[in-house]
Amino acid sequence: MRSSSYATWLNKQMEAPTSKTAVQWLYDSGYGDVKDYSYYYNTYPVEFAVWKDLMSAPDAVRKRVALALSEILVVSMNGPSMKTWNSFSFANYWDILNKNALGNYRQLLDDVTMSATMGLFLNITDSQKEDPASGRLPDENYAREIMQLFTIGLYELNNDGSLSPNSTSPKETYTQDDVTNLARVFTGWVQDGSAKWVQVPGGWYEPPIENNIRPLVLNNDRHSFKAVTFLGKTINQNTPGKDALKAALDHLFNHKNVGPFIGKQLIQRLVTSNPSPAYVNRVANAFNNNGSGVRGDMKAVISAILLDDEARNLTNLTNSSFGKLREPMLRLVQWARTFGATSKAGTWKMLSTSDPALSLGQSPFSAPSVFNFFRPGYIPPNTALAKSKSTAPEFQLVNETTVGGYLNYMQDVIEKGVNCPDPKDRHLKFFGYDWKFERDIVATYAKELALLGNAATPAIATAEATALVNRINLLMCGGQISAATQSKMVSALTSPPLNTSSTQRQREQRVWSAVLMTMACPEYLVQK
Amino acid sequence: MNFIQPDKHTRRAFLRRSGQLAFTGAALPLAMNLAAFGEAAAFNATDYKALVCIFLYGGNDHYNTIVPYDTTNYDLYNKIRGGGGASNSIALDQANLQRTLLKPTVALPDDRQFAFHSDVVLNAYGQPITKEMSGLTGLFNSGKAAALFNVGPLVVPMTRADYNNRDRYRYPLPPKLFSHNDQQSLWQSSSPEGSSEGWGGKIGDLALGSNSNSAFTCISITGNAVYLSGERAQSYQVSKNGSVKIKSLDESTVYDSTAVKNVLRDLVMEGRTNILENEYNIVTKRQVNSGQRVNDAIGKFPANTAPFNTIPGTNLGDQLKMAARLIAGRNDLGTKRQVFFVSMGGFDTHGDLRGSHAELMRQVSEVMTGFYNATTALGVANNVTAFTASDFGRTLVNNGNGSDHGWGGHHLIVGGAVKGAAFYGTPPPLSITDSSDANDQWHVGSGRLLPSTSMDQYAATLAKWFGAADTELNGVLPNLSNFGSSAYPRDLGFMS
Repeated sequence: MRSSSYATWLNKQMEAPTSKTAVQWLYDSGYGDVKDYSYYYNTYPVEFAVWKDLMSAPDAVRKRVALALSEILVVSMNGPSMKTWNSFSFANYWDILNKNALGNYRQLLDDVTMSATMGLFLNITDSQKEDPASGRLPDENYAREIMQLFTIGLYELNNDGSLSPNSTSPKETYTQDDVTNLARVFTGWVQDGSAKWVQVPGGWYEPPIENNIRPLVLNNDRHSFKAVTFLGKTINQNTPGKDALKAALDHLFNHKNVGPFIGKQLIQRLVTSNPSPAYVNRVANAFNNNGSGVRGDMKAVISAILLDDEARNLTNLTNSSFGKLREPMLRLVQWARTFGATSKAGTWKMLSTSDPALSLGQSPFSAPSVFNFFRPGYIPPNTALAKSKSTAPEFQLVNETTVGGYLNYMQDVIEKGVNCPDPKDRHLKFFGYDWKFERDIVATYAKELALLGNAATPAIATAEATALVNRINLLMCGGQISAATQSKMVSALTSPPLNTSSTQRQREQRVWSAVLMTMACPEYLVQK
Repeated sequence: MNFIQPDKHTRRAFLRRSGQLAFTGAALPLAMNLAAFGEAAAFNATDYKALVCIFLYGGNDHYNTIVPYDTTNYDLYNKIRGGGGASNSIALDQANLQRTLLKPTVALPDDRQFAFHSDVVLNAYGQPITKEMSGLTGLFNSGKAAALFNVGPLVVPMTRADYNNRDRYRYPLPPKLFSHNDQQSLWQSSSPEGSSEGWGGKIGDLALGSNSNSAFTCISITGNAVYLSGERAQSYQVSKNGSVKIKSLDESTVYDSTAVKNVLRDLVMEGRTNILENEYNIVTKRQVNSGQRVNDAIGKFPANTAPFNTIPGTNLGDQLKMAARLIAGRNDLGTKRQVFFVSMGGFDTHGDLRGSHAELMRQVSEVMTGFYNATTALGVANNVTAFTASDFGRTLVNNGNGSDHGWGGHHLIVGGAVKGAAFYGTPPPLSITDSSDANDQWHVGSGRLLPSTSMDQYAATLAKWFGAADTELNGVLPNLSNFGSSAYPRDLGFMS
């Protein structure tokens, strides 16, 4: 009965309708206005849209899965930029991830491959057919990375994620030859340039938003019609480009590796860094067949991940090697959602949190490369994890700088909120042009403050502090903070205890302290 | 195919045994008299030496970094990279290369000549602008920089015939060729992704005893990488602006409370049973223990004073500026042997090769030259050696406006102790065809170079200069023992 009530709740969450798309939000906020060149030359508006979605969108599960997918099918604002309207390009990509997060992985592969964003990021739109006269060959970037990162990985896998046939003599999935062949399939796909260019106030014309958000279209003059043989599949010469693309993506999608390769990474993003092979196997099975004969059903995969016994079994709370380090940007999102921090001005002008010394060292769509912020196989050197060869991907972001940057950033934000440039004004000045920062994404901690109302006696103050710590523990980490740690926190909050002449600020300081102590302690940082 | 297992060398066995003593992962605080244990001491250095690894992430296009210049080879290069038309040529114009022509003391055989990158590209306003490696050209020609041709990961010496041979037991290949993350790991640690010890860290292991505070032996000024992790030596991360002071642990109160500050301090540094929790706290503890010492040391050498302020303020420049300040502060840090790791991204030039690579090369040249000049001003030019590394080189073939993943590539070594104005390794022939011709024996398709020098030899030469004994090099570089013939010498000879 208990498990079916979790499943019911999860289902309801997954069915929550999607909020406004990011592209629509950009339009509605005026960021598509061609009269302002700061709009078409800046990427910031999409940062606002994504933070708004992460911190406040009602369909939280979909958003969470979309963010996890953004760390597998990676595009990054640190890569090349569209000449104009780069914000719309990334907004459209975020919308694609959201549209398919609880849909089907095959459709996701289609939409991602045909996005102008990925087209630029991994050089699809640059790629042309071979030219014997000059020796030019198709660009191999997407062909390699779609195999290595988005579908099958480097080695053959068993359904439980272990190397096939075994770990001492693993078998490579693809060769350079497969890459060179597959590269032909992606040639000729270019941005849809059919929309008219827009005239800007200066008088000249710029490419329109539509070029960045419409699916790619095929230019047959640039497409290679040579035969393609890759991974044992042959696509005959002169096959129409659209059919060749479908055949290639179908072939990749149906490879037995996809279930365990993608399934295991999603477990790592959502639950634990080192899932057991049996857990991976169950999740891969859900990918392979959702129970109604459908392959790639994301709802089935996510349900399998979140409802699995390994994810929910209480014994894992004390399993010393279970869990995962919460990602820095997710800790901030959790703070915002837990304490109702939203943009007071409604503009969500929140910028990147990438700076490792002054901020979180991580920000949405800001990975250093297509290999994400961290690798699924990262083993932190000089640690007990290295001795047991256990992966802990998120530790790739942990070093002497980032542990300090995070604490300093949170100490400031918990008290004062996030600093935003000119939040009351949707208009966007260029970077460095006289920005005036104000705290706009602020938590008021109303419910937490209400717990600290009375404090008539030290005993009551202690009881109230205990209730405060309990509440934050429950909301932020499911009550996983130990009694010993809670007792330390309560003692800190009652040395000295609040009393009837305490000011509102003193109460607020107690709340901030409880939140900071929670968000700093390792029992919170490691999600179990 | 497994890599050949490292020797169970006495040095490593000793270090592993001593590792059992300090399970929290804290570095040994005092210089250990290793001779007292009946083992030869690694080195008890009295002078100062630093190695600076400059990792170019993405796979640097080596063909446009050290460019064929003599007519015969330039024509071959231009024909292949020209792309059949000016608009998508990725070949650099020979006229520009005249300015960056390299003049080695001893000419190369067959009248071969090379120039560093030089190109005219359009800036953001559409105006032509020259971007070239003028600084490094000057350093090379004045004997302070050397170039190493066609170096990359190899398990054993290998010809094209060996590469084509299916017997992978006799002719093993490095794992996961052409894969970014694995090749980065291979360059840094002789092992693909998941590796936990890099050769920079392993020579750090040998040098721990030379430093009164071993925590500062291996310093990274960029993101996490395996390069600086050894068995005992650990990578210590410093930001471009110094060590981050953790306000809540450093000041007397948090939100006006001493009690909260004290509990916070406990929580973020205490030992924990859960392994992930424990390892996270260990990092915080290390920062708290060492951060102030770093800031005190560099505080005497502000970034906006000479010679540091002559290093360009780019991402890579700021990292090397910090390295220079740390080197200046070496006495306060108590270090005599240090390994630094810095990096720059953007080298995966599948597209827009001309435009993006020009800016990358300009920055690399200006920053490495600025850094060298700073070491000269500090009086340590002969004690600091900077060298480049990258995931791989790239194809010679043009993919329309760029190049794709390769294998062997060319690299640079800069410093007062470098025997500069010289080329090392073997300049490769320029060909992309698939024949039995001699010119086709040094690539594995599309001009992807089959390395004629292994990355182990490159690293061994640097490690030897740093102070590692020849007998210790095999422990640092597991594949090194497969090399050593006259064609693949353990010491490439570019250090004096």
